[in-house]
Amino acid sequence: MTDITSFQPSDEDFARVKTDLAVEQISRPSLSYWQDAWVRLKKNTRATISLYIVIGLAVFTLLGPVFWQVDSSLQDLNQISQAPSLPKTAALVGAYKRWDGIILEDFPAEPEAYAKSVAAVTELRAFEAATTQQVRITWNPTPGAGGYNIYRNHRAPEDFNDLGLPLGSTFGGNEVSYEDRLSLESRAYYYSIVPTDGYDEYEVYTVTAITPQMIITVNDARGRNLITADEENNLGQEIRLEFHPFGTDYLGRDMLARLMEGARVSLFIGIVAPFIYVIFGIIYGGFAGYFGGRLDVLLMRFADFVVALPFLLFMILFKIAFGIGPGESGIFPMLVTLALLLWPATARLVRGQVLQIREQGYIEAARLLGAKPSYLILRHIIPNTMGVILVTLTFAVPAAIFTEAFLSFIGMGVAPPTPSWGSMCNEGIKTMLSHPHELIFPATFISVTVLAFNLLGDGLTEALDSRMRSRE
Amino acid sequence: MLAYTLKRLLAGGITVWFIATATFVAMHQVPGDPLMNDKAVTPEIRKNLEQKYGLDKSATEQYFIFLGNMLRGDFGISFTQQNRRVNDIIRDHFPVSATLGLLAIFFAATGGVLWGALTAIYRNRLPDIIIMFLVILGISVPSFVFAALGQLLLVNINSMLGQSLIPVAGWGTFAHMLMPSLVLGLGTMAFLTRLMRSSMLEVVNEEYIKTARAKGLSPVRIFFRHQLRNAILPVITVLGPQVAAITTGGFVVELVFAIPGLGRYFVQAVQQLDYTVIMGTTVFYGAFLVFMVILVDIIYGFVDPRVRLE
Amino acid sequence: MNNRILEVEDLSVEFSTYGGDVKAVRGVSFAVTRGETMAIVGESGCGKSVTVQAIMGIIPMPPGRITSGSAKLDGNELLGLSPKEANEFRGIQIGMIFQDPMTSLNPTMTIGDQIAETLVVHRHKTYAEASRQAIDLLEKTHIPEAAKRVTQYPFEFSGGMLQRAMIAQSLACNPSILIADEPTTALDVTIQGQILELMDELQRTENMSIILITHDLAVVARMADEVAVMYAGQIVESGSVEDIFYESSHPYTLGLKSAMPSNIGDRDKKLTPIIGSPPDLFSPPHGCGYFARCPYAMRMCEDMQPTNFSVQRTEDHHARCWLQHEAAPAVAEVSQSNQDKDNAG
Ligand SMILES: Nc1ncnc2c1ncn2[C@@H]1O[C@H](COP(=O)(O)OP(=O)(O)OP(=O)(O)O)[C@@H](O)[C@H]1O
Ligand code: SF4
Ligand SMILES: [Mg+2]
Repeated sequence: MTDITSFQPSDEDFARVKTDLAVEQISRPSLSYWQDAWVRLKKNTRATISLYIVIGLAVFTLLGPVFWQVDSSLQDLNQISQAPSLPKTAALVGAYKRWDGIILEDFPAEPEAYAKSVAAVTELRAFEAATTQQVRITWNPTPGAGGYNIYRNHRAPEDFNDLGLPLGSTFGGNEVSYEDRLSLESRAYYYSIVPTDGYDEYEVYTVTAITPQMIITVNDARGRNLITADEENNLGQEIRLEFHPFGTDYLGRDMLARLMEGARVSLFIGIVAPFIYVIFGIIYGGFAGYFGGRLDVLLMRFADFVVALPFLLFMILFKIAFGIGPGESGIFPMLVTLALLLWPATARLVRGQVLQIREQGYIEAARLLGAKPSYLILRHIIPNTMGVILVTLTFAVPAAIFTEAFLSFIGMGVAPPTPSWGSMCNEGIKTMLSHPHELIFPATFISVTVLAFNLLGDGLTEALDSRMRSRE
Repeated sequence: MLAYTLKRLLAGGITVWFIATATFVAMHQVPGDPLMNDKAVTPEIRKNLEQKYGLDKSATEQYFIFLGNMLRGDFGISFTQQNRRVNDIIRDHFPVSATLGLLAIFFAATGGVLWGALTAIYRNRLPDIIIMFLVILGISVPSFVFAALGQLLLVNINSMLGQSLIPVAGWGTFAHMLMPSLVLGLGTMAFLTRLMRSSMLEVVNEEYIKTARAKGLSPVRIFFRHQLRNAILPVITVLGPQVAAITTGGFVVELVFAIPGLGRYFVQAVQQLDYTVIMGTTVFYGAFLVFMVILVDIIYGFVDPRVRLE
Repeated sequence: MNNRILEVEDLSVEFSTYGGDVKAVRGVSFAVTRGETMAIVGESGCGKSVTVQAIMGIIPMPPGRITSGSAKLDGNELLGLSPKEANEFRGIQIGMIFQDPMTSLNPTMTIGDQIAETLVVHRHKTYAEASRQAIDLLEKTHIPEAAKRVTQYPFEFSGGMLQRAMIAQSLACNPSILIADEPTTALDVTIQGQILELMDELQRTENMSIILITHDLAVVARMADEVAVMYAGQIVESGSVEDIFYESSHPYTLGLKSAMPSNIGDRDKKLTPIIGSPPDLFSPPHGCGYFARCPYAMRMCEDMQPTNFSVQRTEDHHARCWLQHEAAPAVAEVSQSNQDKDNAG
């Protein structure tokens, strides 16, 4: 300002000029509605990440099976409820051979007199190398015992009440061996022996830790194509087992393969169902809004009734009604039911938009110029409602996935053995405490998918909402 | 207000009729004769039911018999639980579900309002970002996962304390109710938090807040007397429909926590195709939800003078 | 005693937005005389509301920011106070009413409670006392059946009634200044007259100063003692109401006048709208803000910010226009050419 006060203008400065109003025109580049929305969406980090997640999911679902060609229904009995791990190896062994156990001849089967207390057994040990086929243990008898109880635990027992799973009993002070074949894994087991008088336990025990070696029988290995014919005689050789990067479920099925197949089912329902009912909603709402009047009132009243149906209850009811015959996966009835119950929201939305647009001058003008209703709807009304419809569709996907998960969880969804994320959760929750991965993986997939679509929907709403534009 | 209430109740009645009709139609779609399909039906029950629903009569006649029974509040006899009336089942198990649901709604509403208000105060600052992240999680994680996690948490707490402070499953004491209702309310709480937040931010920009500031009121007073009260209104309006979400979410929570509620019973009935129980409970739940929505709307009328005085 | 009750110096306000900083108010100075009415006129978006809201301290911050200036009420600085300090004058010494009475009152609180609230907070009255006084205030603003009306909610009032209630509310603590931000814009014409009449009456009985914001010159002519004409965040001309109407010295004021229907002058006079739109406040021009639309623009106007010249004939008459420079072509010539234009059009 200081230079202005001292500024001495010349006559030249006072010369009149013609001003150009165009100079004041806003010079920001003008973008089309969709370009503008796209730019805004890309600026929204959360929405962009979500978009990548959605693309990633699509790749996982469509291309995954190409790279991971494992049969999702094949049971790997060597690896049941296997947590995610690196590839495992197992020693090749022959077929299982019976074992008669050890009964000492020079030791009394029954004690002569029942003692108040006896000593704990000694030298509890593995009889031979323990494998996941069988663990054979033996111990030295303790005088006064009339039998022994055998327990197994996953951790070192803290006291007498913490011995774990009762495996079995022997009924003779001289029966000093036990063979454990109960779903063995390659991990540490704590075997405890408690002497009994034949019925009741003495409160002493002996523990030993045994880690069975992972083995596979020749027959199994051949059946699963893990060995060639000439390898069959190399007993004891370490061979590579099937790799389960995401572990296996309670039936030994590969989790990754199941997750992929589940993704196909869940996403199929999640995407196709909204498409069906959104399209139906568009037609219904467009019809009501375009023709208006008494018809509009009637149609919308009916839509109100459908909205009032308690959604999940009727999902269940309709699913029963459409029936899931044997061998059917139950995907089709689910689609039909979703479509039957969820169209009114879209219909109402589209109707509102159509009513609004109909009031606008250019539609009136087009009508006066003799445009047919179908032309108006296709050329003007649908493109103008595309934004809201896209947003609805985006939010409909997680809703449908949720519904599928819910129904499958209560056993009303996709019928086994077809996996879906929801039914996998249903199975996983039963073994939640011992094998959490069977729940965690499908639950994470559901959550991440729903999250991504929700955030994408939020981003789209913001990007397409021109009201936000003027507000900021 | 009275006229409004009556009008709403009438409309509600019609809706319930629609629900009953839809139920009847859906169950009639079930392939084959419901009685033929099931082996569990004893001749006694069969006779009873045939008489009751006139299963040999035409569909229209059956429909009117059905409507008549529903109108009288008589839901028939269970297929699988011999000689147990559906009414008794509802009477025995619904109070449990209702208690669970009410507690859940209570948690959800107070939590939603509280967190929502908090995020609006700390807009775009750390508390807001953290809470909104949790909210997005809460909206995206299915209720059964919450239920499982809740149970897992209890197991861990109990084993850490070395005693069973809070029961992991079952029903009876308030301690039993705590975790299931919290888990059940979580999704709704997340939804309400979001709603409350945007409502708060909208109200902040209202002219009357500017007026309040120009009047020289303290920020605390403006917050409580002008902003909060107006921001809660939209939250109340969605509470009715949210009851439905909580009710159906209850099915899952009751399953996971082994709670003897009507929801678990309904799921069981569905799995065993116990037709009368399914139909009775559907109509009962439908009527319950419709009238909950009306109830919430009427309560709303007392909070918002614009509705009350119409 | 200083006759100037409120003095505003060099006030500037910016808003940070996605698109950049909006310089909504750029160095505004004015003063309000005790017991008189000052009008601020200007087209939509020129910063009238932001100016008075900055004085009241009710600009949302962020995004708002007061970048410079001072506002002194009886010599006490108002800008930059903590909310607590600001509440010592808001609603007590300065009352304010807004453009849209429908949205300016809390919809879920009775009118009586909203008026009483001010008294409870500032005058430490009980709600019962305050409610009784609220009835008096409503009567003062000529609301019939005031005793019944206090228990009603805003949606039960008509627009004119609401504006009366707003006025009653702002008068609760007998302020010495009433800021009225377009108080009649949202009302229909007959109600407008009544509200202005009420304000006129109250000014006389309460001896208040009024800052009246409007874009209606007819309202200015009727109410104002002094006038400030705002354009693109600046005051471009200020002076007494006579100065502004009869000695208009800024081309923008002239433009406003010729865009106003007049029942004093000749009826055949054509109304000429001001062509073009105000400059982008994201990057205000270096020179005169009116340059692009000014029919008298000179070469220097484009790059040189005009100073606030005092117009020769009267003392308190100022115009921010190079035409007021001593070396500039005579003002008479300008108004002459303006006349020519009118005649030609
Ligand atoms: N909260 C805000 N955020 C961003 N910009 C704002 C905000 N408030 C006002 N502005 C900008 O400040 C400028 C002046 O606004 P202001 O409300 O003062 O105009 P006005 O003269 O009162 O107009 P009107 O006659 O329409 O009320 C406008 O360009 C507006 O875009
Ligand atoms: S300074 Fe120049 S451009 Fe600005 S109003 Fe005066 S004559 Fe017009
Ligand atoms: Mg304004």
